[in-house]
Amino acid sequence: MEENLTPEESLLLITKTIEETKERFKENGHILVFWGTLMLIVFGSQFILSLLELYKFTIYPVYLFPGVGGVYMIYIWIKEKKKNKPKTIIGNILGSMGWIIGMNLLIMGFFFWSQLGVAMAPVFLILLALMAMVVGLSIKFRPFTIGGALVNLIGFGSFLLDRDYHGFSVMLGAVVGLIIPGMLLNKARRKENV
Amino acid sequence: MFNDLDPILHSQLRLSIVSILMTVDEANFNFIKETTKAAAGNVSIQIKKLQDAGYIKVVKTFKNNYPNTTVSITSKGIKAFEDYVSNLKKYINPKK
Repeated sequence: MEENLTPEESLLLITKTIEETKERFKENGHILVFWGTLMLIVFGSQFILSLLELYKFTIYPVYLFPGVGGVYMIYIWIKEKKKNKPKTIIGNILGSMGWIIGMNLLIMGFFFWSQLGVAMAPVFLILLALMAMVVGLSIKFRPFTIGGALVNLIGFGSFLLDRDYHGFSVMLGAVVGLIIPGMLLNKARRKENV
Repeated sequence: MFNDLDPILHSQLRLSIVSILMTVDEANFNFIKETTKAAAGNVSIQIKKLQDAGYIKVVKTFKNNYPNTTVSITSKGIKAFEDYVSNLKKYINPKK
């Protein structure tokens, strides 16, 4: 390992090592696709229950967020801890932001839904948009930035909609801001690994 | 032959380690070993040399009862790496 490197070899080694390192901690869209799908299931179930006029049961799907979502995040956290993933500024920011916004959404949804009233879904969507846009800008992945901007518009648009349509707004937000960009990110990462 | 090139950095493994640390905030020993594909003993020796030169900071802790060595680059290391790359460029393209 102590062999004499030429300047060209040194530069090549630096470039190769940096690229390999970045490759090993690239973010993928699995977690965001998971949360988007969970949102779709929760709000879709609420809509179906409303159609069936089973109004008193519409609260139950919401418990999937802490139940399924919480368990999945703990599983991911344990899995990631076992890996030798290095710490990066962007990784730390995205991880912390995900937890903070996620916890705020849950607290809002469970404890302040009556105070928020008709503003609940729009505020939920605006916070979701903020997260999607920051992810997109941080990892330089345009579908998340565009998806986030669209969710932001859906969020503001929801203020103008009747409360009955808010479930649709959130489902649309989940598809546009999380599921589609997340799947595109996974596809892009798979392509890079070929 | 390459007088201006820092001898501490002008070694394949040490340069790889510093390149990794320029990309991340901190990395643990296993990540460095896996990325450089070098033997643990060799990585350990080179980390010690870089630490002695003041280019990297090494923190030894325990994780699940196993030793966990975390390495990060220092401001002296960043400066040395930047100077090294700048000198490399001069060798490759002396007119610039």
